[in-house]
Amino acid sequence: MTPILEFKNVTKTFGGLSAVKNLSFTVDRGEIVSIIGPNGSGKTTAFNLITGIYQPDYGDILYEGQSVVGLRPDQVQGLGIARTFQLLRLFSSMTVLENVLVGMHGRMRTGVFSAILRLPSVVKEERKAKAKAKEILALFPGRFSEGRQGQPAQALSYANRRRLEIARALASDPKLLLLDEPVAGMNPAETMELMHQIRDLREAGRTILLIEHDMKVIMGASDRVIVMDHGEKIAEGIPDVVAKDPLVVEAYLGKRAASIA
Amino acid sequence: MSRIRNTSNAPALPWIPRWMLALAALLAAAAFPLLVEYGVIQTVWIRVGTRALVYVLLAVGLNLIMGETGMLNLGYIAFFAIGAYTTALFSSPRFGFEVPFWPLLVMSAGLAMLAGYLVGLPSLRLRGDYLAIVTLAFGEVTRYTFNNWESVTNGPGGIPGIYRPTVFGYLVERPIEFYYLILVFVVLAVLLVANLKNSRVGRAWNALREDEIAAEAAGIHGMRAKMVALVISAAIAGVAGSLFAYYQQFINPTYFVFMQSVIIVCMIVLGGLGSIPGAVLGAVVLDSLPEFTRQSFSSWLPAIFGRDFMAGWPDFLRTFFLDFDQYRMLIVGLVIVVMVIFRPEGLIPDALWRREVHQEDPREQEHTLQTLFDIEEGKQDLEV
Ligand SMILES: Nc1ncnc2c1ncn2[C@@H]1O[C@H](COP(=O)(O)OP(=O)(O)O)[C@@H](O)[C@H]1O
Ligand SMILES: [Mg+2]
Repeated sequence: MTPILEFKNVTKTFGGLSAVKNLSFTVDRGEIVSIIGPNGSGKTTAFNLITGIYQPDYGDILYEGQSVVGLRPDQVQGLGIARTFQLLRLFSSMTVLENVLVGMHGRMRTGVFSAILRLPSVVKEERKAKAKAKEILALFPGRFSEGRQGQPAQALSYANRRRLEIARALASDPKLLLLDEPVAGMNPAETMELMHQIRDLREAGRTILLIEHDMKVIMGASDRVIVMDHGEKIAEGIPDVVAKDPLVVEAYLGKRAASIA
Repeated sequence: MSRIRNTSNAPALPWIPRWMLALAALLAAAAFPLLVEYGVIQTVWIRVGTRALVYVLLAVGLNLIMGETGMLNLGYIAFFAIGAYTTALFSSPRFGFEVPFWPLLVMSAGLAMLAGYLVGLPSLRLRGDYLAIVTLAFGEVTRYTFNNWESVTNGPGGIPGIYRPTVFGYLVERPIEFYYLILVFVVLAVLLVANLKNSRVGRAWNALREDEIAAEAAGIHGMRAKMVALVISAAIAGVAGSLFAYYQQFINPTYFVFMQSVIIVCMIVLGGLGSIPGAVLGAVVLDSLPEFTRQSFSSWLPAIFGRDFMAGWPDFLRTFFLDFDQYRMLIVGLVIVVMVIFRPEGLIPDALWRREVHQEDPREQEHTLQTLFDIEEGKQDLEV
């Protein structure tokens, strides 16, 4: 079976710096794969390359066997890849519900003319979309009460903004979900809760590629781990094995700590 | 805690629903000519009102692009000019054409849309405010063209004798008839913009305005969505231009100078970016203010306080109020400065823009991060 996502020798340089260097890996359908690595190791750049925000200098990126290189971000999203942003990029003046509705944009059919005339089909689609947006927000029980859904996103707490990023990505019903440090800034309890929710998303049939830089966080949640350092893949495998890899320990803790461990 | 205060979601005028305000405004606008008919105010007010309505159309149209997508169009009057010249050239003795009202209205709007498309092609591909620069240049180029292409436009002499339009078999002749004709188009434009605003299309514009990268990652084709906004707003200007030419019966390039573009921007800033009632109010206030002041000081106030109530006033004050039109740009400038300082969201603010204007400094948000966690953990209801 073709993997849902495949990086083939992808390189991306900024000026003289190789943010991603000859990176190859695959993600299979239904997996939860984590990319980990210290800050600046190229994880976010890899996401930006998939989603069409950057174009690779070399190599190819395949989604369900088809190259996504050269596509615009909205086209990539339309194929079934949705993402969140490490540095939250919510539409902060828009309401919580509207943020999710924007995520549904590509799935909705209302065009300019039908919108101008506000045809019954438009009203109906809008009503359906709102109902679905509420369903998605309900995946985070207790976090997005009815009252909060009408509040601007900027009024949310930090953790809820992270959740809203995920909800907005889920709105397009993606097959592949890219989460960039979804638990950054969350406390341990919130992190645990979100990890459970991510596993539930996988149970619901989605494939998840997750970026995290804290090793411990992803140990329990992922099927497979890809470790990056300085733009390169330095290790790959199941979490327990990777965590003991000397190269990984060194990348994380520095040489001195590695020798102690 | 300031974070919570600033995210208030209350409407600007909480005691009256918006639709009732809209209905009241419409009734007032429809009843206004009766004041003239029954001699309550002078006939000149029909002209003032009609012109104000043309500017309402322009303000509503410009607000579509500036308020919804956040892009600055500094040459909006050029689209108005294109509509006006199209109508003037095809329904006047100039070349002997007399294209009927509806086809010519569509032509005028269509050419304005085409111009919008051509302006958008190079400028919308790039991120950032290139549109402001390109439209600024486009506005000037358009006016120069109309000014210098004498064989077609008759240059500074303009085009006189534009024929009266026949609308549904009815010859529109008297000022009051034009007033109602244009009012109908104002209502149509308001409905059109309001429907777009509250749809998937408007939501996409707002999202692009707030964060282009996130919007595109959420599945919005940024360039196309912006182009749609630009072209529709150009169409509204084109229609306004056509109606203006019909009403005025004469146009020349001086109606389409850069300052006019600036005034329309000021109208929507005054009313509140992104707000339809704001655009309407801003246009009416700024366009009729000079005439209102002149009338007040030359006839209404003297009627109340006696003929020479200004006798003791210094000369400059008297000329200021009597020749108010001369100081119009000064007043517009002052009004905008005062607004930006004291009420940056405008007179009748749009909910989104009000939040945006009062959005806190992100660094400050970072600072309160820990407090936010506490809220999240304990008293969650603080947020609701
Ligand atoms: N647009 C850009 N321009 C220049 N350098 C960039 C750009 N994006 C990322 N980089 C650089 O690429 C490297 C990898 O960054 P990033 O992918 O964000 O790392 P990570 O997400 O693993 O922390 C960093 O050194 C970063 O400064
Ligand atoms: Mg990163």
